[in-house]
Amino acid sequence: MGSLSSAWNVFYEQMITKGGYKTALQGLFTTIEIAVLGLVIGIILGTLIALVKVMPKNNPAVKIGSVICDVYVGFFRGTPMVVQLLLGYFVLLPMLGVSSDAVVVAIIIFGLNSGAYVSEIMRAGIQSVDPGQLEAGRAVGLPFWPAMLKIVIPQSIKNILPTLGNEFIVLIKETSVVSFIAVVDLTKAFKSIGDATYEYILPYVMLALVYLILVLFVTYLIKLMERRLRRNERTV
Amino acid sequence: MNAPYKMPEGIILSAQNLKKSFGDNEVLRGLNLDIRNGEVIAIIGPSGCGKSTFLRCLNCMEDPTSGSIFFDGDDIADVRININTHRENIGMVFQQFNLFNNKTVIENIMLAPVYVGVRNYRQAKRKNGWIKFGNLFRKNKKDLLPLPTTPAQVKKQAHERAMQLLRRIGLEEKATVYPSTLSGGQKQRIAIVRALAMNPKVMLFDEPTSALDPEMVGEVLDLIKELANEGMTMVIVTHEMGFARETADRILFMDGGVIAEEAPPQEFFSNPKNERTKEFLSKVL
Ligand SMILES: Nc1ncnc2c1ncn2[C@@H]1O[C@H](COP(=O)(O)OP(=O)(O)OP(=O)(O)O)[C@@H](O)[C@H]1O
Ligand SMILES: [Mg+2]
Repeated sequence: MGSLSSAWNVFYEQMITKGGYKTALQGLFTTIEIAVLGLVIGIILGTLIALVKVMPKNNPAVKIGSVICDVYVGFFRGTPMVVQLLLGYFVLLPMLGVSSDAVVVAIIIFGLNSGAYVSEIMRAGIQSVDPGQLEAGRAVGLPFWPAMLKIVIPQSIKNILPTLGNEFIVLIKETSVVSFIAVVDLTKAFKSIGDATYEYILPYVMLALVYLILVLFVTYLIKLMERRLRRNERTV
Repeated sequence: MNAPYKMPEGIILSAQNLKKSFGDNEVLRGLNLDIRNGEVIAIIGPSGCGKSTFLRCLNCMEDPTSGSIFFDGDDIADVRININTHRENIGMVFQQFNLFNNKTVIENIMLAPVYVGVRNYRQAKRKNGWIKFGNLFRKNKKDLLPLPTTPAQVKKQAHERAMQLLRRIGLEEKATVYPSTLSGGQKQRIAIVRALAMNPKVMLFDEPTSALDPEMVGEVLDLIKELANEGMTMVIVTHEMGFARETADRILFMDGGVIAEEAPPQEFFSNPKNERTKEFLSKVL
């Protein structure tokens, strides 16, 4: 018991007296920043790709676009996130001769990566809607896009949203690798707190708790949103 | 493109040498059909003979592999034709109803009329914008086009019409519910009035009662009969022989991707000529 209470004292001093909480909060903020902005970019990219993928393939531009999307999705789903970060930060950036904040690079790579996953989520969501729905829309005279926008896509949201929430949770957890390109995120912040005192138990337990709370909170938000969407389906 | 096709007097839709293949599978092998104004045509035939495919080619839900479909002066099988505006005038009713699940009953019925009305209004406004712009440079000012009904009026009219249609089928109290709460018979009757809301010139039915519980078949067939009596032009794929005999002006028997026999119902059922027809009728009657 003694060692735990002394560990607590060391942790307390490092966190409060020596201002470690500031590093931790900064790290938390960076983690959320990368995950949220990454998801936003991912949703925009993923939507565009999914739309290209579900378009009728009766014109060559769509076919070429579809192949490009396949290559992109294949690359980002086929390589680890860490490798993509390393490539982006240590290879692509010097090659382009631009210097950029590592956080910005992380956001962009996370956005590109999640775009690949989100596009698959959206495509699957759209394709899970009964084809009869689009057909009935086209049969009354709606062109392809209005029929998609008014009938198919609203119905696909119900399927997409929970999976999208899942993707957000994955992103939050995956941000823990950004220290590979020297970004100080939540994980790196707590590691540095541990490093300063050689006392790792409490920092790492705390770290796990913070991730857990973050994820549980997001899970709760997703449940809330899902329930709202369902309500729409019920009888008056 | 050819000059506008001159439809023979009284013909509303004409399929000529229609062929359709799925890969190597030639499903339709050259069908011809002239649909007269006000005519009710029933299509029967064994499963898999291409009845649905033929019906779906008539409004180009399936693009025919070759052949022509003349409607309103256009060959709508030609991919350069804007098929959407023609589909506004060809109603279609599906075996599985296909009501829009994310829309209430009344929204289902209003969707297409509102879409078309609002689109026409926007198009007219855009054209007027160009005329006004042109007038800045013209000596003789060009007159503006009369604006069609405004979106608000379009919605109001579509709503009135939808309620009127719902009253007709006795379902006005269902106007604001979602389709998932309705019985199959109710769904199909609503799907029929959804098509009617566009005032189509011809309606296509693909086995409208096949997905229904037996006790609901009657209410749907009665509604279709009513439409027939009012002079609606209809093509109905059906397995309901009694209904076909009673309602249709002409029965088509499809087999092997062609129309094997066609005749008025009396003659068709009492005196079939084709061997395959006889065989088929002996099984289903
Ligand atoms: N989209 C499609 N792709 C490939 N083959 C198809 C497609 N639609 C229909 N077919 C084939 O075309 C043939 C005719 O099908 P169709 O649905 O028109 O028959 P049907 O007469 O309506 O049969 P049923 O009475 O069972 O409804 C079948 O062999 C079917 O497998
Ligand atoms: Mg069929």
